Amino acid sequence: MTQDLNPVSWGAQDRYQAHFIVKILVGCDSEDYLARPTLQTKGHFASKKVTGVQWVGGELADALNKDDALSTMITKLPYEDAQIFVEPTKGGVRIFGRWKDSHDFAMTKELFAVYDRIALAIKNMSCPPPIKS
Amino acid sequence: MHDTESDTFHPVNKNEEFCESLKKIGLDAKANQIDSDDAEKESYYSKYYPHTPSMVTNHGTITLKGTNIDVVQIIQKG
Repeated sequence: MTQDLNPVSWGAQDRYQAHFIVKILVGCDSEDYLARPTLQTKGHFASKKVTGVQWVGGELADALNKDDALSTMITKLPYEDAQIFVEPTKGGVRIFGRWKDSHDFAMTKELFAVYDRIALAIKNMSCPPPIKS
Repeated sequence: MHDTESDTFHPVNKNEEFCESLKKIGLDAKANQIDSDDAEKESYYSKYYPHTPSMVTNHGTITLKGTNIDVVQIIQKG
């Protein structure tokens, strides 16, 4: 019996993502809401730790770079969880992490706090709070 | 000798499973039926990046209350 040298990969894989969606009224597919962190790290493999974060992208990335509390929260996350993507789509602005297999697919309190703070920045950007006189 | 496994098993949707993990960290979360939210009808990625997967499976949404996030969508690769 011969083995297929070029097996076709098909079907759903055991890889999951949870997209945390922030629905804003207008312009949620705008490039301004694009943001990705560039992580400064130390160590290798299992001991790899995040030491700093620099957001790259649109206007949202500038707002996130000014948030020191958010940077501190991200440095406390495991390296895998600290890789966060913020993408604008027509259905809303999506915050999500890397693909995870079903065994690891769960949410931690610390990671949710980071996502919630990013969501707050998105909402403040789309509808800035009134200026107090 | 009896088998310790139950004769029946209850399949749980992936969004219901993830909803339970959100409840465990103290969030007010509720799993919705598939195709009940507008976010599921639009594209799931911005397409600003080239590596986004072309084929994904939608596993439904979860509504969150008392947070800045409106809805969570569960997606499977392939």
